[in-house]
Amino acid sequence: MSPHPDPPPKGEGTIALGDPDYPARLKQIHDPPLRLYVNGRLPAEPMIAIVGSRRATPYGQRAAHRLARDLSELGVVVVSGLARGIDAAAHRGALEGGSPTVAVMATGLDRIYPPENAELAQAIAQSGAVITEAEPGTPPLPGRFPVRNRIISGLSLGVIVVEAAQRSGALITARMAAEQGRDVLCVPGSIENPLATGVHQLIKDGAKLVQTVEDVLDEFAELSRARARAQARVHARTRARTRADSGPQDPQLLAVWELLDWVEPRHHDDLAAMLNLDIKEVNRRLTLLEISGYIIGDCGAVTRAPRD
Amino acid sequence: MVLARALSGTVFGLDGVRVEVEADIADGLPGFHIVGLGDRALQEARERVKIAINNSGFEFPGRKVTINLAPAQLPKEGSGFDLAMAAAIVNAAQDRGLPPDVAWLGELALDGAVRPIRGTLPIISHLDRLGIKRFYVPAANVAEAKIATVAPVIGVTHFRQLKAHWEYGASLDDSPPIEPATSAAPTHHVDLAEIFGQPHAKRALEVAAAGAHHLLLVGPPGAGKTLLARALPGILPPLSQREAVEVTSIASCVGMLPAGAGLLEVAPFRAPHHTISAAALVGGGLAAPRAGEITRAHRGVLFMDEITEFRRDALESLRQPLEEGRLAVARTRGHAVLPGRFILVAAANPCPCGFAGDPRRTCECTPLDRQRYRARLSGPIRDRIDLQVLVPRQPAGQLLRSTPVAESSAVVRERVLRARDRQRERRPQGPLNGALTGPQLRREPLAAAGQTLLEAAAERLQLSGRAIHRVLRVARTIADMDESSQIGEAHVAEALQYRESG
Repeated sequence: MSPHPDPPPKGEGTIALGDPDYPARLKQIHDPPLRLYVNGRLPAEPMIAIVGSRRATPYGQRAAHRLARDLSELGVVVVSGLARGIDAAAHRGALEGGSPTVAVMATGLDRIYPPENAELAQAIAQSGAVITEAEPGTPPLPGRFPVRNRIISGLSLGVIVVEAAQRSGALITARMAAEQGRDVLCVPGSIENPLATGVHQLIKDGAKLVQTVEDVLDEFAELSRARARAQARVHARTRARTRADSGPQDPQLLAVWELLDWVEPRHHDDLAAMLNLDIKEVNRRLTLLEISGYIIGDCGAVTRAPRD
Repeated sequence: MVLARALSGTVFGLDGVRVEVEADIADGLPGFHIVGLGDRALQEARERVKIAINNSGFEFPGRKVTINLAPAQLPKEGSGFDLAMAAAIVNAAQDRGLPPDVAWLGELALDGAVRPIRGTLPIISHLDRLGIKRFYVPAANVAEAKIATVAPVIGVTHFRQLKAHWEYGASLDDSPPIEPATSAAPTHHVDLAEIFGQPHAKRALEVAAAGAHHLLLVGPPGAGKTLLARALPGILPPLSQREAVEVTSIASCVGMLPAGAGLLEVAPFRAPHHTISAAALVGGGLAAPRAGEITRAHRGVLFMDEITEFRRDALESLRQPLEEGRLAVARTRGHAVLPGRFILVAAANPCPCGFAGDPRRTCECTPLDRQRYRARLSGPIRDRIDLQVLVPRQPAGQLLRSTPVAESSAVVRERVLRARDRQRERRPQGPLNGALTGPQLRREPLAAAGQTLLEAAAERLQLSGRAIHRVLRVARTIADMDESSQIGEAHVAEALQYRESG
């Protein structure tokens, strides 16, 4: 401990169960937290939770990021748990979208976990809130995480699960959400991806399959305002999207793009062999595709850029 | 007073130093003393020299013999003074002086045979500049000595030969030349034709050779990173006369020059293991700095497999040579500047478990694990690595399939030579493309389309200023390979695919 502890950051405080600003939806669950420690300002807008694996694939992180950003752009507050992987991607996407986002932690406000998300937590508290039920100083304890998960689902209209293996924390959140009467929505994955098995089980059990933000909005009457905003944008977007879906105009670039996949990376060497082209020409074309946003490269392996 | 002086030399760092060996024979109790800051090997020379003299038809004087090695403050090591000491002693015993413009180098065996020594080339080169007219060296070092001087070099195989030489003026020059123990042809090089597929990595290798760029190969275990690295020396241009002398000097000083070998003409290849200490990489030694792996790779290739596994201080020791092409070594009893201009080929797994990006195996690493793994290679070292490519695992079937023969190293080397020639025309004395600085890069002609593309890339791919410099250096080399004086759009576009990921 330093001899002169820093004064508590602005906006840090507590909300008790009886307070008028206690979140109304959270009050409805059968075991609401008696007191919430809040860093930032808890927003009042409708909330949707996005949760998933800490060991997410790049695909899962992109999906979480994109859905969170789109929701946030339409004024929906995204709630998640500040964990690695899907959670962090969802918070980042939400911040990019411009609306506040809420991070529910299992540790004390002064014990950001995992530590590499400390900066992210700060950014979240700027516009939204980092909240916890745990006393200051509470370290990351395994038992705390499932308890925390009930708050994530309790705050939200519904929970979107992106990548969750069987018996994962994200599935616990989904089960709690169902018990609390919240809708569970799922982003599907590859059938070869072990992290998609839990999600696919949820879909089989009746959870709604989500591809786009519209799929989320359609599910909740409370999100009608956001839906109206979304419809205004859809027209503008459709054109850009068809463009991205059908690939580039230039036939040379199109020939490369057609050999690529959205999920599985392909190596430059394979493309050179399939196109029967010199590697330097393949590399030239890949850069042009990359700069116009059609593909994503990773020093020798490329995938198609996800829909935007 | 009975005194004789024989001129000899040693190396300090990689430089030859003149050492004068004085022998004094005085009345008194019979004994043999060596003074003048010699190391342990030198103290043991007393026994060697004494027995060798007696076994060569001379008689070791039964009086008080003192050897002084001057300059006295210079730390001296090794056994190269044996011949000079023996020459000085037997001539002092005969009360005969030795000519001042003749030098003596060699280690003596107990039977009087003359053994090869380290550092012949730099020593002779230095003594030649001081005006020495004649050199007596171990027969196995004659070829090496003749690189450094046009003065007569006399190969001595046995101390006995000198008896006839001094007593009857017999000639030594007809002693048979020693055949090199091994041919100078390198055995560790791999021909590109032996590597199937992998055009992306091979192209990066060719660019690395053409512009002297450092290269990072990322790929799972068993993808063939080592094979690719070993192919690099074979596509580098042959060493120039000056470079060959530098490389041969270094090999001579560290005792890596095969007996009887002359000038080394092929770029060296060094592959230190990742457990190496910083001192072994940089060079060291208590008395005088000795060349480490960095200097041994001078003008060649330093291959660091599993670069993230190297000790942190060892990796940091690369900074100075990567930036300046040389390194300063300070030790308790002196310091030296050693050369270290090499092409670094680093290899690493994509993540700690090695399976990231492998479609058949699941990577078990968390993002934090990967972040930590990547951070082991510090920024200043990454900044110097212009090229980075992913080397994918080769399907097992591919290794067995009968394949069309790939381009051979000789063909690729021709192209590398042409690209190097273009660089030399532009900057006869200046650096190769891989060492161009920001201001130098800005003076390179860049086509408008290339400029536009680079700006778009910087924006879209979020390239830092340093990353842009790396792309430009590589694009400059690709333009040279394309025999274009201007850096065009296609050159920038290709260069961008060799940038660091993520």
